Amino acid sequence: MICCKECLELLHDYIEGELSAEVHASFEDHFEDCPPCIVFLNTYKAAIHMSQTTLKSNDIPDIVKERLKKFIDKNKAE
Amino acid sequence: MGFDPTKDKAIEEQLVKDLQAGKVSSFEQLANLYQKNIYTLSFNLTRNATDSQDVTQEVLLTLFKKGHTFQGKSAFSSWVYRITLNASYMKLRTRKKEPNLSIEDLLPSLNGAGFQQEKLQDWSENTEAAFFDKETRRVIQKAVDLLPDKEKVVFLLRDVEGLSTEKVSEVLEITIPAIKSRLHRARLFLRKKLASYFEDYKTRKERK
Ligand SMILES: [Zn+2]
Repeated sequence: MICCKECLELLHDYIEGELSAEVHASFEDHFEDCPPCIVFLNTYKAAIHMSQTTLKSNDIPDIVKERLKKFIDKNKAE
Repeated sequence: MGFDPTKDKAIEEQLVKDLQAGKVSSFEQLANLYQKNIYTLSFNLTRNATDSQDVTQEVLLTLFKKGHTFQGKSAFSSWVYRITLNASYMKLRTRKKEPNLSIEDLLPSLNGAGFQQEKLQDWSENTEAAFFDKETRRVIQKAVDLLPDKEKVVFLLRDVEGLSTEKVSEVLEITIPAIKSRLHRARLFLRKKLASYFEDYKTRKERK
């Protein structure tokens, strides 16, 4: 059985589906017997999801949008 | 609306043709297609609306004026991201020189055989309610701000902008294995920061 360390170090490749079928299967076996690694996986995914969503929502503020529009119109005319 | 690198290949190709032909209408097209991506990436790096506005204008002008010199060796959007990164870094007068994140510090405690010792709390299930919390947003922003530059830029391009590993490698001109390990360290770092916030989120809210 692979140890937690190997499992956690390769978590990126695991969730991106980049492990060979054999290694992937040994991860599944490990998760079955290791609740702490499941928790780690869940919280790893949650952290990605939350950070991603929060940062994606940093849209251009309306005032900046207006300034950019003026800038675009000006340069378009030239 | 922003540029979706997975879908907008055809639009990008047409735009590049227009730019190379010196078509004036392409300036507005450029702006419509890229301004959100440019602004957001710049803002996530500089955390400053004025700087990010400057960067956006600067990048759009550069693309418009130098677009005809674009060689097509890499994707056009990779070029856009690269110029955006450079312009944003110029705004950050002092770029900190941080040591590399050590993976050991980001993993839970392990015994000599490499197995976890302690019980971890699964806070991933109580994130939904916290999501709309201003404090949560602030904690997340701060955690990202604390990432060392090398890891931060990979996280922003890969997980926020949604570029593929190959594309990020093209933008940053570093190898794919290096991108993967930086991304993993960035994610581990964010997980650790969020864990310490969420592990007592419930008790904190109940106390209030
Ligand atoms: Zn384990």
